[in-house]
Amino acid sequence: MFWAIFPILWVIPFIFQGEALVGGMNSPEFGELAGTERFVPFVLIGAIVSTYLFSSLYGMGGSIRMESYWGTLEYILGSPARKISVLMGKALSESISSTLFVATQMVICIFGFGLTLAVGKILPILLTMLLLVAGLYGMAIALAGVTLQIKESRSLVHTIEYLFYLFSPIRYPVGIHPLIASVSVIIPLTYALIAIRGVWLLNQPINALWRNIGILAVLDVVFIAFGYSIFYFMEKKVRKSGAVSQY
Amino acid sequence: MALFPSTDRMKRYMRAMNAENMKEWKIELTYRVDFIRGMLEPLIFVFPYVLFAMSLMGGRTSSVLEELTGVSDGVTYTIIGYIFMGFLNTAVWGMGFALRKEQWYGTLESIFVMPVPRWVYVMGMALHSTVHQGIILFFQIAVVYVLFGVILNVQGVLPVLILVALMLISLVGLGLMVSGLALIFKEGWIVSEVLYSLITIVTPIAYPLAVLPPLLQKLSKAMPTTYAITGIRHFLIAENMEFPLWDAYSRLIVIGVCWVIMGLVIFHIVDRRVRREGTLAEY
Repeated sequence: MFWAIFPILWVIPFIFQGEALVGGMNSPEFGELAGTERFVPFVLIGAIVSTYLFSSLYGMGGSIRMESYWGTLEYILGSPARKISVLMGKALSESISSTLFVATQMVICIFGFGLTLAVGKILPILLTMLLLVAGLYGMAIALAGVTLQIKESRSLVHTIEYLFYLFSPIRYPVGIHPLIASVSVIIPLTYALIAIRGVWLLNQPINALWRNIGILAVLDVVFIAFGYSIFYFMEKKVRKSGAVSQY
Repeated sequence: MALFPSTDRMKRYMRAMNAENMKEWKIELTYRVDFIRGMLEPLIFVFPYVLFAMSLMGGRTSSVLEELTGVSDGVTYTIIGYIFMGFLNTAVWGMGFALRKEQWYGTLESIFVMPVPRWVYVMGMALHSTVHQGIILFFQIAVVYVLFGVILNVQGVLPVLILVALMLISLVGLGLMVSGLALIFKEGWIVSEVLYSLITIVTPIAYPLAVLPPLLQKLSKAMPTTYAITGIRHFLIAENMEFPLWDAYSRLIVIGVCWVIMGLVIFHIVDRRVRREGTLAEY
């Protein structure tokens, strides 16, 4: 319930802040950067899509940590199953629960905040979200590997979450500052949000967004390969040092 | 039994509070990288709010905000609100989670059999969290001064410190409540997160009270953070307040007393309940 509702409630201070700064729900200055003057749908879509970010950051590393806490991590890593199957299983479970949260949030946004979504736009949005999830879980696999080594990775994950909020267009367009714009190019969330907002808010046809979707797909391959390599390396290291069972 | 503890007993309580404070500092400073990360993180947390404001205003000033509050600098307005709201974190996370951490370490029962009341332990944690947040606050002010050129009225520092102290009294009460509830709910992070999110929405952190819907305005007026944040901005950047200054002080005192009493009562009830049920040490 918490994860289905609160990411949307966290947007409310931004709405009040916007009203206090521009006296309404539209800002021409915001429009110049974001392509839409309506900042409320912009931040709401950012909040919905960032649910997958929470899930990938906290879910995978957290589940490895919980296996360690329950004392079942050694059995899982020692089982004849391929590690990638174990990781994919965890990613699948996380992505299903996140999708349920996202669906609930969409309903809240449509009925509570007046956000509209044409049926024809659902498929391209789902396709983009799928690509985003693949990239984010690539990163999550790397974090799961890091968790094996450093054990208590929650603080690190918390900082990464804040950095993602800072350097990707979740709350504001990244064009606001050159440094933010240049860091955002390596974050999959940037391309996913541009594509999803393009379809959902700006009514752009999907073929106008192929460039962003293409880059997102390339980043997916890089993140998954990088994530699995990190996990493989960390797992070998932890096995050799005999620290698998340590909490 | 006397209503107030004797001087000798109070001294013992103070020593116990300080011991708890020192223990937390020792644990924190053992993990130095984590400590540095903890100092930087609240700063990173503020940036999205500032950048969002800048993207809406197309700069750092807003005529609408000036009309509402008398302050045109939306960046400074937002920064002041969010950095002082950091004290809410100390209440709901620092204090509220103190007992949960001891449960996790397996030391809660040992602490609870010490010859001091349990609230003394939570107050020790409050002391630590407040000093910790105070250091973060000064660090944040120094960084935003350099990065955003935030100019504050230095003459307002003394009344601001009084407002912060009064707000802290209420937040100690809130911390006592949360730490009590964490003993019942075990996974108390949800209690902390829900309270933190709701108080953040109704407190005029980056907007004046006037933009809130009437129902939220009423709720906001029951929050100590509303009077403290608005008062702090009044003294530091001359925000026009929607209530007299005397109201801010008096309401902070009344809310503080009420929340502390409520916090002590809830904590006492929960403490008795978990002891009777034998669930105190359960994680």
